[in-house]
Amino acid sequence: MNAQMKRGLLDICVLAAIKDEDSYGYKIIKDMKPYIELSEATLYTILKRLEAADQLTVRSIEQDGRLRKYYHITGTGLKRIEEFKDEWKEVVLLYQFITKEGHHE
Amino acid sequence: MNKQEFLSRLKEELIGLPEDDIAERLDFYAEMIDERIDDGLSEDEAISDIGPIEKVVSEIIAEIPFTRLIKEKIKPKRRIRTWEIILLVLGFPVWFPLLISAAALVFSLFVVLWALVISLWAVDISFAVASLGSALGGILLIIHGERQQGFILLGSGLILAGLAIMLFFASKAATAGGWKLTKKIILGIKTLFIGKEKI
Repeated sequence: MNAQMKRGLLDICVLAAIKDEDSYGYKIIKDMKPYIELSEATLYTILKRLEAADQLTVRSIEQDGRLRKYYHITGTGLKRIEEFKDEWKEVVLLYQFITKEGHHE
Repeated sequence: MNKQEFLSRLKEELIGLPEDDIAERLDFYAEMIDERIDDGLSEDEAISDIGPIEKVVSEIIAEIPFTRLIKEKIKPKRRIRTWEIILLVLGFPVWFPLLISAAALVFSLFVVLWALVISLWAVDISFAVASLGSALGGILLIIHGERQQGFILLGSGLILAGLAIMLFFASKAATAGGWKLTKKIILGIKTLFIGKEKI
């Protein structure tokens, strides 16, 4: 997939991974594994970007004697997912145009 | 390699980035290793699952925008002393041309690389055009009765067409290779800005 397109999609994927309940880094990677392989470095960058854009918040929770960072989606983050869904409808429409046979009749 | 070794090597490779950024990244990788151990992997397995340190570092560098790397690099880590400023100013005629020539060198590297790719395509296109011309000329000659010369021309046209087709695939491969090399060079330049700094 085109790198620019992938970048945009991965942001939404990470937001979707924490949409229903707060999640942590390793779980996000595991949840996405059946769909796309995500490297730690990429996830880190995405999480930082989403945090800077107020689309998620981070808190550290102690678990089994060590700290685990949990990511929580904000209202802005939820809105971003909704916007993506709307935009995707336009993409689907364009896809239909692109794959339609017989443009030149 | 155990967790401590992994983290200290990673720290070494990332020197040049802001310290709090490095600390946060190390925490992140430490958590990722701990999670895998909780999942039942041994410390060794957990680390090899994350990947070789060189790969991890190049992934991290690839994710950081160029402009930020340069900004971090030129931000002085301590106050510049007066004599250093004087030296910088006096040394300007020396270091500035050096800097320019280094940049020019890198730029010429790109120019040479892409000139090669473009010339391959140019040769390919000229072969294709020449093959068409020869084939057409050959056919015309044959029609006009100059059969011997006509067949020679037609034959050479076909040979040129074959060469053009082969060169087409070579040019395509060269273009793809050119992209890969360009990306590698950019990653290499980025690596210059961070990593082990021996003072």
